Amino acid sequence: MSQDALTAEVLRNALVVAAEEASIVVVRSAYSTFIVEGSDASAALLDASGRLIAQSMATTLMNSMALKVALPELLRDIPLAAMRDGDVYALNDAYRGGVHTNDLLVYRPVFLGGAPRYFTATMIHVADLGGLSAGGMAPLATDIFLEGLQLPPVRLATAAGLEPAVEAILRANSRTPDKVMGDVRALVAGTAVAAARLRTLAGEYGETGLAAGIEDYLDDTEARTRAALAELPRGRYAASYPIDDDGIHPGVTHTVAVEVEVGDGRAVLDFAGTGPQVPAAINSSASQSLAAAVFAVRCFLDPTIPMNDGCLRAIEVRLPSGSLLNAQPPHPCGGRFVPIYAAMEAVFQALSDAMPDRAIAASGILQPFSIAAVGAPYWIHLSYDFGGVGARQGKDGPDATGVHFGVGRNSIPQAEPVESRCPLVVESVETIPDSGGPGRHRGGLGSRTVIRFLAAAHVTTRGDRLRTPPPGRSGGLPGRTGGFRKRHRDGTVERLPAKSNNVRFEAGEAFIIETTGGGGIGDPRTRPLPAVERDLATGAITPEAAATDYGVTVNPDGTLTRCFR
Amino acid sequence: MEYTIGIDVGGTFTDAVLRGPSGPVTSTKCLSTHSDPASGIVTAVLAALRDAGVAPEAVGRVVHATTLATNAVLERRGERVAYVTTRGFRSTIPLGRYARVEEDRYDLRFDPPPPPVAAQDCFEVPERIGPRGEVLLPLDEDAVREVAAEIARRGITSVAVCLLHAYADGAHERRVAEILARELPGASIVTSSQVWPEIREYERATTTIMSAYVGPVLGRYLRALRERLAAIGVRAPVYVMESGGGVMSAELAARRAVATIESGPAAGVLAAAATGRPDVISFDMGGTTAKTCVIRNGRPEITREFHVGGKGSFGGRRAGTGVPIKTPAIDLAEVGAGGGSIAWLDAAGTLRVGPRSAGSEPGPACYGLGGDQPTVTDANLVLGYLAPGALAGGTLRLHPELAEKAIDRHLAGPLGVGRAEAAHAVHEIVTASMASAVHVVTVQRGIDPRGFALVAFGGAGPMHAAGVAARFGIGTVVIPAHCGVASAAGLLSGALSTDRVLTRLGAPDPEAVFARLAEDACRDLGVTPGDPGVTVTRTATVRFTGQSHDLPVAWTPDRDELAARFEAEYERVYGIRQTGPIEIVTYHARVTLPPPEAGEAGEAGAAVPAAGSPAPAPGARRAYFPERGGYTAVPVLSRAHLTAAGAPGPLIIEEAGSTIVVPPGWHAARTPGDAVTIRTAP
Repeated sequence: MSQDALTAEVLRNALVVAAEEASIVVVRSAYSTFIVEGSDASAALLDASGRLIAQSMATTLMNSMALKVALPELLRDIPLAAMRDGDVYALNDAYRGGVHTNDLLVYRPVFLGGAPRYFTATMIHVADLGGLSAGGMAPLATDIFLEGLQLPPVRLATAAGLEPAVEAILRANSRTPDKVMGDVRALVAGTAVAAARLRTLAGEYGETGLAAGIEDYLDDTEARTRAALAELPRGRYAASYPIDDDGIHPGVTHTVAVEVEVGDGRAVLDFAGTGPQVPAAINSSASQSLAAAVFAVRCFLDPTIPMNDGCLRAIEVRLPSGSLLNAQPPHPCGGRFVPIYAAMEAVFQALSDAMPDRAIAASGILQPFSIAAVGAPYWIHLSYDFGGVGARQGKDGPDATGVHFGVGRNSIPQAEPVESRCPLVVESVETIPDSGGPGRHRGGLGSRTVIRFLAAAHVTTRGDRLRTPPPGRSGGLPGRTGGFRKRHRDGTVERLPAKSNNVRFEAGEAFIIETTGGGGIGDPRTRPLPAVERDLATGAITPEAAATDYGVTVNPDGTLTRCFR
Repeated sequence: MEYTIGIDVGGTFTDAVLRGPSGPVTSTKCLSTHSDPASGIVTAVLAALRDAGVAPEAVGRVVHATTLATNAVLERRGERVAYVTTRGFRSTIPLGRYARVEEDRYDLRFDPPPPPVAAQDCFEVPERIGPRGEVLLPLDEDAVREVAAEIARRGITSVAVCLLHAYADGAHERRVAEILARELPGASIVTSSQVWPEIREYERATTTIMSAYVGPVLGRYLRALRERLAAIGVRAPVYVMESGGGVMSAELAARRAVATIESGPAAGVLAAAATGRPDVISFDMGGTTAKTCVIRNGRPEITREFHVGGKGSFGGRRAGTGVPIKTPAIDLAEVGAGGGSIAWLDAAGTLRVGPRSAGSEPGPACYGLGGDQPTVTDANLVLGYLAPGALAGGTLRLHPELAEKAIDRHLAGPLGVGRAEAAHAVHEIVTASMASAVHVVTVQRGIDPRGFALVAFGGAGPMHAAGVAARFGIGTVVIPAHCGVASAAGLLSGALSTDRVLTRLGAPDPEAVFARLAEDACRDLGVTPGDPGVTVTRTATVRFTGQSHDLPVAWTPDRDELAARFEAEYERVYGIRQTGPIEIVTYHARVTLPPPEAGEAGEAGAAVPAAGSPAPAPGARRAYFPERGGYTAVPVLSRAHLTAAGAPGPLIIEEAGSTIVVPPGWHAARTPGDAVTIRTAP
């Protein structure tokens, strides 16, 4: 390795580490229950023209795209010339790069040579900023005003500390004012950590050296992305994916459509044909749809390519304004994962058609829910469970985990810390036998979590793919749909709507979350017997399903026989 | 007069260092014996005692570093484990808690890491204890007996028990263990409240399961080792190095098997730290693996959680990519390549080195023990870096003709290049993979390695060190005395120590909790808190009420002072000045007792006369340096012949356990502590 190459690599890694350190500070010092037990915080470095330079390693692309798209909007309201060293800015406006009201975006300009050259940015889902339910979910919102406080770009802090007026507004709009301010301080501290790192790098490399190193990094990433795109089969591939309903009109489906064009070292993803935005919480802001499209394409490229502006230059995403994927005021945006997960699935299916040997069947998705005290003082538990991943050509799908945005099971809270904080008992967390779509390669299983309450609580849910199961491919069968349920004290179980708001549970009643399994690939009757045998041993399938789905009967001596009908 | 023996068993060699009251006296290196590691140890110990003329009865203490636990895990050769947990949580372990980070994020074809226990061997019993120790559902003892019957039917003899909230009250776990012990005579049973009673069921469970997985294997091995040593007259107590750099008795190590998971590498890092330089990168290359660690201000970084089989990233094993084990461990990176790594051509005809290793059985082709695949050692012999003839204190002879044949037949011939070119390519490729281990602990953390000295040791380290350093622009390489057996020497400076933790939310009397932990830890070590030299370090993890993450803070019973310390630490770590109600989450006691020769612990640089294999006189041989156009006559010295003024490369410095290659453009000199320091020539 040449000394120049070494210097460049040290710098590139140092940029990622700067973002990583910021995210660690935020995640470990925040209060939001969504963050502290599970999800990682997001942090990014950007330059003054709004280009994404580096992001924390565990961030989802949703968050770094929000930080990237919102920065030019911040600069439109508050120009660079008006910024002072030590200032920190914040916004959550979904129509200007933000996600939804509870996701707070925080920026700190980094001054070099007397002018702001870079920004360090952090973002988490904060404890509570108002809206229909404690914790920030408003699945039945019909406009954005029901989703909570909207914050346009404002100066959150100066070198002297938090702006008292902004703090007062945030506190006044939160059910948990102390926790939300703890989260805000964590976000501000994260930007400070990354800014200090960046200033150190500017000292080591010189301002121009740093700028040149960043430029090279972005150019190199662009070249790698284009080279990887050039290896994909040239052509245009179309697919669409359905959304169960908008929560207000049960049974009325919506559609996300895409045409992916690959060739000449670039990709164009055109979502024309996607359904129009609706006055319900199944729309997405543009930044989130951009993240979904880029993520889905990247799943078919060299995974080691860094994520920065260089990668984005090679991927063009067209989001029709006023569609489910590019909502305009005042359409709700809080349920954005519903349309953007459909968008990712559509891209996966389109590219699976293009590359059958790398095909993936559709998956169950995460099923978010919140549990909160029915009144002050509020305790909040905000979490989700994962559906099963679709089978991949040549291998089964993993159980109950995230394939969309690549979030792992470490983001699901453990029972002990949750029980030590909230009046509830997690009775069980199990996989559901037979929930994975049968196939030569089986879809991953869904999971069932049962939470019994020790005090009255409000439950809010936001589910999809609970009516229309994720289909299989090439003869594989769909996964089994899950759902949200209430177990009464007498043991009877009632199904809740997929999208429900503040359903009251009494002490002794239990909330059941069942997630949907992934689709299978290939005719299940061609599944090798040892795989069926293993599934029977681990309980992934029952003997009944072995017979009906796989045509395999269990003999009295324990051996298996395949019977073709 | 009392002697201490340090024994490090690696994948290829078993090293022993014998130290007397006035410092190290002798060292030996023997081939490891995998089917029966104790046999290699006995050979090495006997050789060391014979060389030094010391009677076995004069040995007062044996300190051992073993990779047995690690290998059992990595090679999946541990005991089959049955896992017993609270009803409803049978899926916790099979589902796992893996993270998907960096490139894993974009991999649709990812596979979750395999669980440490098979899904069908996970059992449940009805019972429930709450977070503050309250019994919510009494234990169903009949159900425990039914589970025991099924475990017996399957012939499983090692059981891990982890019930929810057992850190708050271990009564149900103890009762389950009692019933299982009665129903399963002879079985090994471990409970989470005994192993690591800290909140968060997943990591507590995996720690317990891994203890059950490797404990019986380690226990059998250590018992056998003590018997074998006793048979040759060494009846001294046997201690085992733990991953955090302390040592514990063999009895305790068998019970706390997971604490030994990084036993060998930890010993090497202690040796590197003992060179006296504050900022170094330790580079330990043996026959099978290489380990690197960054030491700043004289201290290696210690992690509180270790991920077995985890992926390296962000300068360490990334949380969520392996099986988490709650145990203090020195933070290091490891690559599976060393002198024994086999060089081969892949389907596309590209030259590759490793990850397969010839180990010690059959070993490299040149050992003449039946191996016919070319290895890194064969390449180094062909290149003239290694001398033909005796190795490992005469226990082994190197046969150049066998190395030449293997390289010609498997590499040079098919590639259509010369023998030397092929051998040099192998040398360069393995140097590059060594560099990747340095890369992980420095560049990937954004640390510029150029400000550090590389401390190289292990049998193969000093041969590749200059090449590794050159890749990073590191200008100083230090090769400590007795570098070929540095890990074994490092063992002698480890303090007797062990850790005990307990999560106890809202404990009314923290002092009582600590007193019990300290007592338990002292009992583990066979000392009492009041003994001279015994240090008890108390740490509490504290958090702001309502937060989830806690920070370790040095304990003080003064609540205001504790809060002040926590707030100061919080500000130091997170950069946030904050006040508010605090709560104590976990209590941690570490008990240490320095080794008897503590006063000399820092001077691991003292000379080790390599008795039995006299230092070779100055000479010369032909060695391959492309900078010099190929084979060229190179002076060969022993360390004793090198002066403080030094000599320029190319140069080879030979000693019993290792060979130092000083390439052209480097300059070697003898430096204090009998180290060899090589620097890029000005």
